Amino acid sequence: MTTTGSARPAGIARRSSKNRPARNGGIRESAVSRTVAMSVMVVATLYFLTPMWWLFVASTKTRSDFTTTAPLWFADFALFDNIAALISYRDGVFLRWLANSALYAGLGALLATLFAAMAGYAIAKYTFRGRETLFNVVLGGVLVPATALALPLFLLFSQAGATNTIWAVLLPSLVSPFGVYLSRIYAAASVPDEIIEAARIDGAGEVRTFFTVATRLMAPALVTIFLFQFVAIWNNFFLPLIMLRDERLFPVTLGLYVWNTQVSQIPDIRALVIIGSLLSVIPLIVTFLALQRFWQSGLANGGLK
Amino acid sequence: MATEIEMTPVPKTPSKPRTKAKSKSKSMPSRAISHRRALLVFLLPFSVLFTLFYIVPIGYAIYQSLLTVEREGTFGPAVQVFGGLTQYISVFQNEAFWASIGRVLMFGAVQVPVMLGVALILALLLDSPLVRGTKFFRLAFFAPYAVPSVIAAIMWGFLYSPNLSPFTAITENFDFLSPTTVLWSIANVVTWVYVGYNMLIIYSALLSIPQEIYEAARIDGANQFRIAWSIKIPLVVPALVLTGIFSIIGTLQLLAEPQVFQSFSSAVTSTFTPNLTIYTTASIPNMSLAAAMSVVLALATFALSFTVLKLTQRRTTQ
Amino acid sequence: MAISRVARVGAIAAISALALTACATGDTDAPAASGECAPSDGAVNLTFTSWLPGVEEAVAIWNEENPDVQVEVQTGPNGNGGTYQNFFNQLAAGNAPDLGQIEFDAMPNFRVQDGLENIAACEGILAAEDQFVPWTWSQVTFGEEEAVYAIPQDTGPMAMFYRTDLFEEAGIAIPTTWEEYEAAAVQIRELGGYINNFSQSDINAFAGLVWQAEGQWFSNGADGWTVDLTGAESTQVAEYWQGMIDNDLVAVYPPWTDEWNAAYNSSELWTWVSAVWGANTIASGAPDTAGNWGVAPMPQWEAGASAAGNWGGSTTAVLKGSAHPYEAAQFALWLNTDADALTAMNRTANIYPATIEGANLPVFAEGVEFYGNQKIYEVFAEAGNNVNPNFTWGPTMTQVYNDVADGFSGAVSGNGTLLDALTAGQDKTLAALKAASIPVKE
Repeated sequence: MTTTGSARPAGIARRSSKNRPARNGGIRESAVSRTVAMSVMVVATLYFLTPMWWLFVASTKTRSDFTTTAPLWFADFALFDNIAALISYRDGVFLRWLANSALYAGLGALLATLFAAMAGYAIAKYTFRGRETLFNVVLGGVLVPATALALPLFLLFSQAGATNTIWAVLLPSLVSPFGVYLSRIYAAASVPDEIIEAARIDGAGEVRTFFTVATRLMAPALVTIFLFQFVAIWNNFFLPLIMLRDERLFPVTLGLYVWNTQVSQIPDIRALVIIGSLLSVIPLIVTFLALQRFWQSGLANGGLK
Repeated sequence: MATEIEMTPVPKTPSKPRTKAKSKSKSMPSRAISHRRALLVFLLPFSVLFTLFYIVPIGYAIYQSLLTVEREGTFGPAVQVFGGLTQYISVFQNEAFWASIGRVLMFGAVQVPVMLGVALILALLLDSPLVRGTKFFRLAFFAPYAVPSVIAAIMWGFLYSPNLSPFTAITENFDFLSPTTVLWSIANVVTWVYVGYNMLIIYSALLSIPQEIYEAARIDGANQFRIAWSIKIPLVVPALVLTGIFSIIGTLQLLAEPQVFQSFSSAVTSTFTPNLTIYTTASIPNMSLAAAMSVVLALATFALSFTVLKLTQRRTTQ
Repeated sequence: MAISRVARVGAIAAISALALTACATGDTDAPAASGECAPSDGAVNLTFTSWLPGVEEAVAIWNEENPDVQVEVQTGPNGNGGTYQNFFNQLAAGNAPDLGQIEFDAMPNFRVQDGLENIAACEGILAAEDQFVPWTWSQVTFGEEEAVYAIPQDTGPMAMFYRTDLFEEAGIAIPTTWEEYEAAAVQIRELGGYINNFSQSDINAFAGLVWQAEGQWFSNGADGWTVDLTGAESTQVAEYWQGMIDNDLVAVYPPWTDEWNAAYNSSELWTWVSAVWGANTIASGAPDTAGNWGVAPMPQWEAGASAAGNWGGSTTAVLKGSAHPYEAAQFALWLNTDADALTAMNRTANIYPATIEGANLPVFAEGVEFYGNQKIYEVFAEAGNNVNPNFTWGPTMTQVYNDVADGFSGAVSGNGTLLDALTAGQDKTLAALKAASIPVKE
C-alpha cells in the first residue's frame, strides 16, 4: 500500500457504467442470466411506476373525466389548463409554497447532511469515551414517535417566540439521526484509516482531512443521506402543521393537505390537489437526477491531491 | 464496526510544520489536542441540535406522562398534578393499544423481510453487469418515495377501488379493503414506497466495495451469482442490519399509511396501529395518556431493536 | 473530555426540560380580567385562525372600515385535521390567536379545557341573542346565565336531496316518513339502484338523525355529564338503519371518495339526506346529473311532523388569554351578522348563516339550476326553524366519533350492529371522560 492515498492499484478502471464489462474481467455473462435480470427489472419497474403513471394521467384530466374515463389513458388533454388553474388559484400561493419547500428542504438537507456526516465520521473514525453511549442515545431519539414530541417542540419554540417562522420548520429539520447512522457505516467502510494517517503525516488538520478526503470517499453515501433528508423534509407536513399559521410560510405538502381538507366546502379543489401533487413530485425527481452522477464510486479514486 | 485510531502522539518532523499546532500544556500531546478540537467541531452541531429537538422534548414527554388532571365541577378548570404511574397503569389496561401492537408486530414479521429481500435483490442486480440502463431503474425505484402521503391517499384509494381501479378485474372480485385484507394492502403500499429507499442504501454500500476484491473472484472464474452470494452480500450486512433496524422502528411507528387508508377504507379503525392510537388519544385531548403510550411504545421498540441487533451481531461474529 | 461532552449534553437536556415545564404555564400577553370587557386604547391587531376558504374577503371588508382594529387571518386544515390540536398547544403555550373557528360539536371540549373567553360582558353580545337561530345560541352559552362563549357562524340544516327524474320515471312517490323511505328503498333496489349510502364515518351526520328524532346523547348538570348513546330515540335510529343495511337497501361506500362521487354521478344512488352545504358537493361530484335533482324535507318519524336535524356548523370564538376581548367580540359579532360579510363567506365557502335574517339574503332567494331551478334554500330555511334547540354535545366528541365510527365500520361489513357500536362507544366515552377527570353523573 502506498502512502500517498490511492488504495487501488493503478489500472483498474473507474466503475462507471461505460466500463462495466471490465469489472468482471471480461467474463461474458450468459444471455439467460442477462434476460432473467432484465425481466426482473422490468417487472419491478411496472410495479413501481404504474401508480405514478396513473398520477400523471389523472393530472391531465378535467374534473368530469376523472372518474368516468379509463384510468390509465388520457381523455381530453387538459394538463396545461389544470396547471394554469393551479398557479392562479389564490394569487399564486402554490408557487410560493414550492419556493418555501425548496428553501426548507434544500438548506435543511444540506446542513443536516453536513452535521450528520461529521458526527458519523467522528464516531466511526475516532475512539473517545462515551462513543457508543452517544451513538445509542442517537438511536434512542428515533424510538419515540414524533406525535409525542409535537407539544414539547411547540412549547420550545413558543419560549423563543419563534413559532410561525421559517426557523420553526428549518431548525428541527437539521437533525438527521438516520444520517448519522448511515454515515458511520459508510465512513467505516469507505474511508480507510491509512488515508487518514497519510493525511496526518502530510500535516493536514483533522477537520481539513475530513472535508478534502473523507467527503470525497463518502460521496455516494453523502448524496444518499442528502437525498433522503431532502425528500423527508419536502414531504413532511407534520412539523409545519403544528408550527405554522401563516399560509405564506407553508411548504407544498402542508398546503396540499390543507386544501384537501376543504374538499367538502370546495369540491373542485380535489383537482388542484392532484395536479399540485404531480408538480410537487417533479422537483424531487429533478434533484434525484441531478445527484445521479455521484452514485459512481469512481470519484473515490484519484488519490488525495 | 469501526477501526480504532489510537490518540497517541506522533513525533513532529521538523520539516513539516503542523497546521493546527497549539499546545495547551506541556504535558498534553499536541496531536491529542487537535483531535479533541476536531471532535468538538464534528460532534457539536449535531449534538446540540439533537439535544434541543429530541432529548428535551422527550424529557418533557416523559414528565408529562407522569401527570394526571383534576378538576372540580362540570366545567371546572383542569389542574395538572403529579400522578405517578397512573397513566402507565391505564396504558397496560388498554386492550386496543396492545391489540394494535400485536397487529404491527405481525405486519413487520412479514413485510420487513419481504421488503428488504426485494431491495437487496434489486440492489445486487443494479450493481451487476447483467443490467443496462441503471440510471433509469434507479430513478424508477426511487420515485414512489417522493410521493406525498396526501396524494397516496387518493392514488391508492383509486387503485384499490372495486369500480374505479384500472385493475377492476382484480378489485371487483377480491376486496382489498376488508378487515382481513386491509393490513396486507397497507403492507403493499409501505413496500411500494420504501423498497427503492432501502435499495439505494444497500446500493450505496455496494458501490463502496473496492474493486480489487473482485479480482480474486475474477481469477477464480466466479459468475455473478457467486460473487453476489459470497462477496457482496456479506459486505453489505451492516447496511442490511441498518435498514432492518430502521424498518422495524418504522413499522412500530406506522402512522401515515393507516391514516391515508382511513379515508377510503372502513376497516382501518382509529386504533389500528400503536402510533395511530397515540394520535387519537392526543386529540381527545388527553396529552398525558398519549405521552405514556409513546414512552411504552418507545420502550417496546427499543426492546425489539436491541434483540434484533444482538441476534445479528451474534450471527456475524460466529 | 468525551464524558464531559456527554455530560454537557445531558445537562443541557435537564435544564431545558425544567425550563420548558416551568415556562409552559406562563403567559405572554397579559389577558384581560374575566368579568370585564373594556375597549383597548389605541390601535389593535387581532389574529383570527379560520379554515373557511376565502374568509379573508369578508375580513378585508372589516379591515377597511375599521382602521384601528386590524384583523389578520391565519389558516390551516379543518378543526379535526389538526387545527383544534394546534389551538390546545397554543393555549398551553399562551400564544393562542385572539379568535378561532370552532365547530359547534367541539365547543364543549374547548369549554371543558378552559379555552374560551366569556364575552357576555362585552357590549352588545348578550343582546345579540335575538339575531340567531335558537339552538345555535344555546350551544354557545351552554345554558349558563350571563355567559356567551362564541358567536354562531353557520349551520347545516338537513333535508333530503333526491333525483326528481328517477323518482318520476319509476312512479315512486317522494317519501315523507321513514317508513315510506324504507318502502321506496325496496322498490329502488328492485330497479337496480340504492336509495342512499350509509356513511359509517360521518358520525356527526348520524347524530343529526338522532337530533331529528329528539334524541339526546349528552346532557350536563351541576353534578356532571350524562352519556346516553343508546337512549330510546338513538336506538330507534340505529335499528332503522341496521335494518336497511341488513336487507341490502343502502350502499356502504366510504363517503367523500371518488367512488362515492361516481356512485352519484352514475345514478346508482337516488337520494342523500344531508345538510344545506351538500348542495355544492353533489353539484361538483356528480356533474353529469345536473338539472335532475330536487330538495324535499327530511323523512319524518311521525306522519305530518316537520322535525329536522342539523349536520355541521361553526362558531367564531374568542380564545382564552386574548388581550383584546372587546374588539375581538365586536369583530366576531360583525363577521357573523353583517349582510356583506355573510354574502362573501357564502360565495367563497358555501356557508349558510346562523342568523335568522341570514336566510333572507338575496343569494338564497333564487332558484338553483342544478336543482331544476328549485328555490332549494326555502326548504332549508324551513328545516332550520324546526331543529330541536335542546341538543347538547359532549366534551369529547372527537373521541366519540372515533369510537363509534370504529364500531360502525364493523357493522357495515357484518361484524356486529350499529347498536352494538353505540353501546361500545358509550363505554369508551365514559372511560375517556373518567381518564380526563371530567365528572360523570352516575
